[in-house]
Order: sequence, then structure tokens, then C-alpha cells
Amino acid sequence: MAPPDWEAVYRDNIASIYRMMYSKVGNQPDAEDLTSQVFLGALPHLRPGSSGGEVHRYLLATARTVLADHWRRHLGVQVTTLDEEVAAADSGEPPVTDDSASRRVRKVRRVLGALPANYRTILELRFLSGCSVREAAARMGISVGNAKVVQYRALRRAAELGQEFAP
Amino acid sequence: MSRRVRRVGRYVDALLRDRRPPRAAQDPDDLDALAAAIDLASDRPQAGMPDPRFVERLEARLREHAGGDVRIDRRVTRRGLLQVGGLAAAAAAAGVVVDRAVEHGGTTSAPDTLAVDAGSWHFVVAAEELPVGRAMRFSTGKVEGVVVNRGGGDFLAMSAVCTHLGCILQLNADAGRLDCPCHNAAFGLGGDVLHHAQTAALRPLPRIPARVRDGRVEVNVV
Repeated sequence: MAPPDWEAVYRDNIASIYRMMYSKVGNQPDAEDLTSQVFLGALPHLRPGSSGGEVHRYLLATARTVLADHWRRHLGVQVTTLDEEVAAADSGEPPVTDDSASRRVRKVRRVLGALPANYRTILELRFLSGCSVREAAARMGISVGNAKVVQYRALRRAAELGQEFAP
Repeated sequence: MSRRVRRVGRYVDALLRDRRPPRAAQDPDDLDALAAAIDLASDRPQAGMPDPRFVERLEARLREHAGGDVRIDRRVTRRGLLQVGGLAAAAAAAGVVVDRAVEHGGTTSAPDTLAVDAGSWHFVVAAEELPVGRAMRFSTGKVEGVVVNRGGGDFLAMSAVCTHLGCILQLNADAGRLDCPCHNAAFGLGGDVLHHAQTAALRPLPRIPARVRDGRVEVNVV
């Protein structure tokens, strides 16, 4: 049986690594796959004497590579990265993932608040209330086709605002 | 234009169902929109929490791979990490964070207290006021939760937010369960899903780190 130490490292880091991956891919199956790759790849390389901080930084560095490979394989372009998180960890900033998570949440709220009303409404109906396009269209009194276009434009505008508000 | 609207739309549909998005190529100008959709999807109340079943499955896989090969210094990390490990796995799940100062230099002494770098401990109830087998709802202002006295000084805390769409659960103490007022789901006092009306399986309730200090039950939240 394997020594219990790796299990401890695993339990100590699984939630934060998963959460970080989720914030970069936005869905459960991909987040689970990528989290699995991080631990399967990293654990055999952890050396005796590694401190908790070193372990975390190594997992984070592995996660950055795993995420980059994921995007390269599937869209050919890096849609999201872990560059900022790795840089923050290397510069010795404390709890990296959760700090960046709360920054992201604040940014999302700010972006939503700055959108024109119909853009904000469709994104809130879909992402926060869990409405389908059809339900969102009905609530907004517009056609389904129109709702799809509004959603598309809202996301494009949200992306522009997100860059303006970049932390 | 309409093709781009459809492609981004299908991507968003998958994210909102928490499924793997289509791998079809996207217009380079739309990649930022996908990133914005990922940000929004990750911000949903029920999103980003690791499914306890996944955590267990991966642990089993790692155990298989590890054999006796994994070399992590047990002198340094073993006891301290084990102490906090169970907490940490559930902590981030509930929007709460436990971090720990790991001692360097191969010391064998485990820390007396867990160093919590982020988040703080909130008083919930006096331990003696919650009889064994009973549960109570609490709210810290940031986290809605339930704490259960499992006997022998073991208090279990978990989120009281439905993993379906984030409705606040109601404690049905007599039935020993948590009921969702929105879509008729119910959870046991261990966080397990008892029943629900959704086509896709619901995730169990994430746990929140809890401890007893000087007879006071406390939970850790950010």
C-alpha cells in the first residue's frame, strides 16, 4: 500500500486545483479531466522534503501546462491561461487560487453592471437563473432567434468590458 | 455572422448544462466571448465545487498509480496535512478556504492549531445546545449552512444551498433532511441527495470545515 503522505497532499490541494480549473473551462467534465491530469502527472514527481508551498507551486505549474495542452488540442488557441496564477505563486503571494477567484467574481459582477440593460438581462437569465434561450426570449418578449443574437452580442461586449476592467 | 452566433450559442448551451462544450473551431474574434462565458459560468452559485464522488474516484486512481513509489517526505507533512486534509477538500467546495502553514526542516511535531490564512472561524452554536443527532441552520452572512451533531464531539457542517440552482434549503428537523423549496429536491443530513426531480444527477452538498473550541461549535468561511 502506498504511504499515506500523497493522500494528504491530494486532499489538501484537490479542491483548490479543481476550483481553479473549473474557473478556466466553465464545465464539470473538462474540469474533472484536467484536475485528474494534474494530479496523475504531478504526484510521482514530488520529492522528499517538499514543503506545502512547494507542492502547491508544482501542482500549479503542472496545471498551467495541462490547461495549455487542453486548449491547444481543442481550439488551437489558449482561451484562458493560468499564467497570472503561476506568476503570483512564484512571487510568493499567499493563497493564490482563491484570491484570483474572488477577483474574478468581482470582475464578473462589475462587467454585468456596466452592460446595457438587454445585454445584462439575457446573461443574467441564462447564467444566473438557468433559463434556456427559449425561456429567456419569452421573458424578454423577443424572438428566439433575436435572443441568440442578443446573447452573442452581450458576450462580445462583456469580453470588451472585461478587458477594460482587467485587474 | 449567424454561423458565429450559433457556434458561440452551442458553446454556451453546453457550459450551462455543465457539459463538455463542442470542440468545433471558433472564429478567432469570438474567443474572448467564450472566455467571458466561462467566467459567467464559473460564477454560478452551484458551479466550481468538486463532486465528492469525483474526489474519491481520483484518489482511488492515484492510489493505483502510486503503488509504493510516491516519495513525499512523511516526516514533514504527514500528520499536519492529514489533520487539515479532510477539511480542505470540502472547504473550497463551499466557498471557504483552509490553508495551512507547513513546517519546514523535517520536524515530527504536528501543529496544535491549524493555520488558517484565509477565511475566519464563526461561532455557530454552543456544543451543549445541539443534542446528538440534531441539526440546526446557520447563516454567517456569507455562507448558509447546516450543522449536525453526530455524537462523540463530531460536528458536521455543510452548505444549505441546493446544488441544483442555488435555492436556500429548509431544514426539516423531524424528517432529518433538508428540503429545497424550489424544485422539490431533498438532501440527507450527511449532504447526500435523497431525491430530486431533475433529469441530471444532483451533486451532494459541499461540507464546511467545523470545529469545537471551548465548547463552541465554529465553522470556517471566507
